[in-house]
Amino acid sequence: MPADPNEHTTPSSRTAKYWRKESHVNVAHAARMAEPPAEPDADRAAPRRLGIIFWVAIGWILLVTTAAIVAPLLPIADPEQIGIGPRASGPTWDQWFGTDGNGRDMFSRTIWGARVSLMVGFFSIVAGFLVGGTMGIVSGYRRGWIDLVLGFVTYVMLSFPLLVLFLLVILLFGQGLWIVTGALSIVVIPSVARLARAITIVFAEREFVAAARLLGATNRRVMVREILPNVLIPMSALLLLGLGLTIVAEGGLAYLGLSVADGFSWGKMIQMGAGLRTLQTAPWVAFFPIGAMFLTVLSLNLAGDRLRQYFDIRELGIGSR
Amino acid sequence: MTYLMRRLAFMFGVLVAVTFLAFSATNVIGDPLFNVVGFYASVDCDAVIAGEIEDVVGTIAGTGIGECERVIEAREKYHLDDSLPVRYGRWIVGMAQGDFGDSYANQMPVSTILAERLPKSVLLMGVSMVVALGVSIPWSVAAAYRANQPFDRASVAAGFGLLAIPGFALAIILFYFFIVRWQIFPSRFMDDNLFSRLHSLVLPAASLGLPLAAVYQRLLRTDLITTLQEDFVITAKAKGLSDRRIMFRHVLRPSMFGMITVVGLNMSALIGGTIIIEQIFSIPGFGRELYVSAIRDDITVVLAGVTVLATAFVVINTIVDLLYSYLDPRVRRAG
Repeated sequence: MPADPNEHTTPSSRTAKYWRKESHVNVAHAARMAEPPAEPDADRAAPRRLGIIFWVAIGWILLVTTAAIVAPLLPIADPEQIGIGPRASGPTWDQWFGTDGNGRDMFSRTIWGARVSLMVGFFSIVAGFLVGGTMGIVSGYRRGWIDLVLGFVTYVMLSFPLLVLFLLVILLFGQGLWIVTGALSIVVIPSVARLARAITIVFAEREFVAAARLLGATNRRVMVREILPNVLIPMSALLLLGLGLTIVAEGGLAYLGLSVADGFSWGKMIQMGAGLRTLQTAPWVAFFPIGAMFLTVLSLNLAGDRLRQYFDIRELGIGSR
Repeated sequence: MTYLMRRLAFMFGVLVAVTFLAFSATNVIGDPLFNVVGFYASVDCDAVIAGEIEDVVGTIAGTGIGECERVIEAREKYHLDDSLPVRYGRWIVGMAQGDFGDSYANQMPVSTILAERLPKSVLLMGVSMVVALGVSIPWSVAAAYRANQPFDRASVAAGFGLLAIPGFALAIILFYFFIVRWQIFPSRFMDDNLFSRLHSLVLPAASLGLPLAAVYQRLLRTDLITTLQEDFVITAKAKGLSDRRIMFRHVLRPSMFGMITVVGLNMSALIGGTIIIEQIFSIPGFGRELYVSAIRDDITVVLAGVTVLATAFVVINTIVDLLYSYLDPRVRRAG
């Protein structure tokens, strides 16, 4: 296993605080003025807050999610109805996001596209966390040969070319919603497993775990009742970051025509708009779903990053793939 | 066992596992026979040869038993009657000897296809890596030099923005502006000389490299800021070295560990990205070939692809690990 890249990155915040009042800036002073970037207000007495950006980001995520869930009830055009407006017309008062080459309403399509994108992204990250988290906790707590075997499995998953993996899974089992979801969860399993293992190792050495074991708790009980809650809290931030990852991955798959066969996601919409002719005549067909995906992933990243700082977890490599 | 030996054994085991998985999966998905003889694969040719049943398909086509002889021939040629592990063993031994087999689709040796396609993808990945490192290193140095100052804050925001654009979306945005609107770059891959190749690769490499640069910048900036708090920086400053020299010669080098690890781990993301980017910019590279082959069940090409990619990934990461243990002996003892 590669060493923890952050091992040597423990900033001395005391020095940083002492020198913060220096006025002129050069390297040596910049050095001391530099605050530990992961926790900018760590040594402030005020309670840490999540901040306005976090709430704006969460607001956007909630808005998109709600719109996606209640899309059938919203007073918007049928996303598949051809000729609802003029063909390939730009944004107008009637069609806020314009229409595509078939005269379908892009605004309605963008909302409907969120359904598949978010659903596949959400369930695959949850599945990835369940499997990867279990693997990580077990291997971090039990160590020994189990750790070795699971580490090996993780590394095999990392080494297998992802797109080939998707292709194989899809050719084997088809392009159903749950199959694509399962295939996508494989993207996150190795990262989650590594992180859960790292956190577990830290907690496994704490007194309360030793106490539980002395009281005669079984391994399973220690893992579920003592370790899991402690791993879960910091991992929740990475759930958001990982969701961004799986949404993007689904988009890439959809672009190659490998995602869910029924319905359409943002990725499929982007692919439909990305042909040379469509880009020449109606670039908004690709750009609105790109914008929606960008804002959503940006919000997930921002919110996840704030949460990560809030819980003070160091970057252990999720999102590094 | 020494650390080196353990690493190599581990690496070997991973490669065996990956190739075996890929081999089994591809052989379950696509009947290799089907690729050679088409629908005849589903005819029970043993029975036809023995005269037990009539060759239904062959009679209609008017070729009779001849087609079934082709089937038997193909089965012998590709050793399709053996069990899966035996075939895997034969395949991996051939692979080790440089025999990648023939493509089922066009009968070309896979090694020829690889030699034709791989250099373009490697060039693309190389240029992307140059973009990623060339952007991220100066960017992080500039940001860490005055951490939490306006430039650094702006660059953190820019980094977040860049991280949120999927590579393929960035590719389409670049494609739209630089190819469709302004027509600065050619819309298809020009393969005349090195210059035209590089010219065609600017946008693809930017779409792959810029999001990576954002990832690296975040990591490197954090590590740089930490290193800047070390005492030797003050010593260097006291010796009268220039800021530029301190940043690039003394601070940058010990701060690169974290980034180097992630560069290794990112290889698979880069490879995955290459497949989509080659599709968008119509680059006849290896990723595109792999995608097309997988779609049409061209097993030998897919398997060769998986092997090459997985080997590259494992070798690069092993080198990174070994580099690590060389630079920091603590890893060797703990590992």
